[in-house]
Amino acid sequence: MTPLLRFQRITKIFPGVKALDDVSLDLRAGEVHVIVGENGAGKSTLMKILSGVYAPDGGELILKGEIIRRNSPRISEQMGIAMIYQELTLIPELSVADNIFLGHEIRKGFLVNRAAMEERTESLLASIGVQVPPRTLLKNLSIANQQMIEITKALSKNARIIVFDEPTSSLTSAEIAELFRIIAALREKGVGMFYISHRLEEIFEIGDRVTIMRDGKRINTSAIAETGMDQVVEGIAGRRIENVYNRSSTEKGDILLDVRDLSGAAFKNVSLRVRSGEIVGLAGLVGSGRSEVARAAFGIDPCTGGEVFARGEKMPRNNPQALSRKGIAFLPEDRKREGLALSLPIRENAVISALHRLNPGGIIRRRKERSVVRDYVDKLEISTPTVEKLANFLSGGTQQKVVLAKWLITKAHTFIFDEPTRGIDIGSKSSIYSLMDELTRQGAGILMISSELPEVLGMSDRVYVMAQGRLAGELSREEADHYAVIQLAFSRPEATA
Amino acid sequence: MRAGSGLAGWRLSHLPHSIFAFFLVFLLASLWVPRFFSPGNLSTLLLQASILIILSIGMSLVLIAGGIDLSMGGVLSMCGVIMALCLRDGVHVFAAILIGLASGGLFGLLNGLCVTRMKVPAFIATFGSMGIAQSIANTLSGKRTIYWESGSHSSVLDFLGGNIIRVEFGPEASMTFYIPFLVLLTVVVVGCIIFLFKKTVLGSYAFAIGENEETARLCGIATRRWTILLYMISGMLASLAALLVLIRTNSMQPTSGDGLEFQAVVAAVLGGNALEGGKGSLYGAIFGALTLYVVRNSLTLKGIDTSTTMIVIGAVLVGGMVLNELAARHERGLSRKG
Repeated sequence: MTPLLRFQRITKIFPGVKALDDVSLDLRAGEVHVIVGENGAGKSTLMKILSGVYAPDGGELILKGEIIRRNSPRISEQMGIAMIYQELTLIPELSVADNIFLGHEIRKGFLVNRAAMEERTESLLASIGVQVPPRTLLKNLSIANQQMIEITKALSKNARIIVFDEPTSSLTSAEIAELFRIIAALREKGVGMFYISHRLEEIFEIGDRVTIMRDGKRINTSAIAETGMDQVVEGIAGRRIENVYNRSSTEKGDILLDVRDLSGAAFKNVSLRVRSGEIVGLAGLVGSGRSEVARAAFGIDPCTGGEVFARGEKMPRNNPQALSRKGIAFLPEDRKREGLALSLPIRENAVISALHRLNPGGIIRRRKERSVVRDYVDKLEISTPTVEKLANFLSGGTQQKVVLAKWLITKAHTFIFDEPTRGIDIGSKSSIYSLMDELTRQGAGILMISSELPEVLGMSDRVYVMAQGRLAGELSREEADHYAVIQLAFSRPEATA
Repeated sequence: MRAGSGLAGWRLSHLPHSIFAFFLVFLLASLWVPRFFSPGNLSTLLLQASILIILSIGMSLVLIAGGIDLSMGGVLSMCGVIMALCLRDGVHVFAAILIGLASGGLFGLLNGLCVTRMKVPAFIATFGSMGIAQSIANTLSGKRTIYWESGSHSSVLDFLGGNIIRVEFGPEASMTFYIPFLVLLTVVVVGCIIFLFKKTVLGSYAFAIGENEETARLCGIATRRWTILLYMISGMLASLAALLVLIRTNSMQPTSGDGLEFQAVVAAVLGGNALEGGKGSLYGAIFGALTLYVVRNSLTLKGIDTSTTMIVIGAVLVGGMVLNELAARHERGLSRKG
C-alpha cells in the first residue's frame, strides 16, 4: 500500500543551523502519527515544509505517489493538507461560519452566501458533535470551542491530512477527551494525522505510530503498541531521565500568603494558604476559576470581596505593586505577552522589577546590572551566550527561567506560577521543577496553577481543587491521586458552600 | 445582575458607541444652542457632514485592515483641483469627474503598493503621499481658488448641486428644510460600500487582514491585493468627497482638504475603529462623523472662533478613545462573568 504522504530525505538549512537533516517519514491514511522531540528538534520545520511555508533545501515531498514540485500555503491547502496550530488562527470579530469559510467562502455570484455557509457549518459541527450557533462571534467562545472551530475549518476544506501542533496545550482533561473523540472519528474517515505534543501520556492514548526527532534528525519510528514510555523519553532527551518530578521533603514554616474568602466575577469565597517551604497545587478544569483567583489575589483583576494577607499584613485591593513589594511574585501563563518584553535583552527583562533597588538615585548602572543578572543566569542554568540576548530568541523554558530570575532579583519569597511548564519541552520542564524544589528548600512558598495532573500530583505538598468558581476541596500529598482530584474537579460545590 | 441582561445575545453596548455620543450631543445642542434645531441648520449640517462621512468610511475600511490613510485630505485637494481645472478648460463634466476619481484611485494604488510591496509603515507611506498630493494641488492651481465659466456643463452641475426635497416651514431661510442631491449621493455611495462590506468577502477579509495578516495569508487570502484594493477605495472616496466640495462651493480651493484626514480619523475612532486594526464598524464611523459635525456646527452658531474648534476636535478624539477603552473594559468584565 502506498502511503498517503512521504517525506523523502528532507533537508532544511537556516543560517547557522541544519534544522532538518535527511529526514524520511511517511503517513498512512487513517493513522495518527505522533511526532515528539524537544523544542528545536525540527518538528515544526518539518510541518512547515508540508504546509508550504518553507521550501526544503534537499529531498522531496511525495503525496500519493506523486512528487510535489511546487508548494505554498495555498497549494498545500488545495491538496487537502490542513494545519491546526498551537496558536489559533481565527479572527475574533468574525462569526463562527465566517471563520470556517474564511478564504474559501461559498459564493452566489460575487456575493457571499451566508445562509449556505451557516447551514454547512451547522452540519459540519454536528458531524463532530459540537454545538455552537454558527452566527456567534468567535471572540465569545471558549478556547476549547475555538479549537473545535479550527478543526471544523479543516474539515470544511475536505482535508485528507491534518497536522495538530500542540492541540491540547490550553485544554482541560474533559476537553482533551472531546478532542480525542473527534480525532478517532477522523481516523475512521481515513484522514491521516500528524500529532505533535509535549504531553507524553497523550501519545499512548491517541497515537498509532510515533516518530522521535532530535537535533533535526529522525531518531526512530515505531508502532505505539510496541513502544514504552521510557523508550520515548530516552529517545527525546538522548539520555535516560529517571524521574522528572524530583520533589524533596521540606520544612514547612510560616504562612506567607493567606487568601480569605476572596470573591470575584468568576469565583466566590475562595480561601487558600501558602506556607514557607511548601508547593501548593491549584487544580481544576479550565473555566473553574483557578487563574482568576490567582490574578485577583495578586490584584491584577478586580475582586468583589475577601482579603489577602502577605506575611500576616493585609494587602490593599487591586494593587499588584503592593504585593510585589511584599515579596509576592506572579508568573503568568502567557509569558510572551505578560511576563516578558520580547524585544528587550535578558538583562533588561531580569532587572525591570528591581530597578530602584539596583540603581539607587535613578541612574542606571549597567555594569552592576550585568553582574547581578549573570549571577542568576548561572544559578538558574539559563543557556545563553550573553545576558544581552533578546528574549524573543529564547526557547519557552529559557523564557520562563528569565521571568523567574526577574522575581528572584526582587527578593520575592512567594511565587504564584500559572501553568509553569506550558509549551516547554521535557528537558527544560525537569529543570523548572528542580528550581521550584530548590526555592522551597530555601524557604520560599509556591502556589502552582496547572492543567497537567501529573505535574500537580508530582510536585505539590498540598492540592486545592476548584470547580465552578468554588473551592471543591483540599487534599494532602498522600490523599492526592488522579482519582481524587478528578472527582473533586467534576463535583458541584455550590451545594456545600 | 445588570439591567438588560435578560436580553441574551443583544446588548445596547454592542451598538457602536458613537450612536450614543451622537444622540447625547444632539440633545445637548438642541437644548442649549439657539437656532441649532431649525430645519435650515439641520439641512446645512447634513450637507457638511456628508463630506466627512464619505472620508471616514474610507478611513474605517483601511483602519479595520490594520492600516491608516493620512493622504485623504491631500488627495481630496488634488482631485478637486484636477476636476476644477478640467471644468475650467471645457472638458466634459463626466470626463472631468472620471479623471478626478481615477486620480484618487491612482493615489490609493500607490499607497497600497508602498505599504504591501515596499513594507513602508502605512502611517509613513500615506503621510508622505499626503504631502505629495497637496503639493500637486498647490502647483496646479498656483495656490489660487479655481472658478469656471458656466457652459455646457452647468446644467449637470446645477442638477448635482440642487435639492431633491424642499419643505418650507416659514418665510426665512432658516425655516426651510431641504435635502440636497449631494446628500442622496452620499447615502447611495455609503450604502453601496456597506453592502459590499457585509455581503461580499470584503468585510471578512478586511477584519482578517487587520487582525493578523499572516493568518489571513495562511487562509489563502491574497492579502496584498485586498490591502491595495482597500487603499484604492479609500483614495476614490477621497476624490468623491472632493466632488462634493467642488459642487457645494461652486469653486475649488487648493487647501480644501487640509486637516480632513485628521477629522476622518477622529470620526472613525469615535465609531469604535481601533488603530491596531481587526475591529471597527462602518456605522460607527458614520455616527462619529455626525457627532463631530454637531459639535462643530454648535460652536459656530455660538459664535466661537473657528481656530478654537480644533481644540474641541482634539478633545473629542481623546474623549472617544477613553470611551472605547471604558467600553472594552466593561465588556471584558461582563465576559469574565459568563
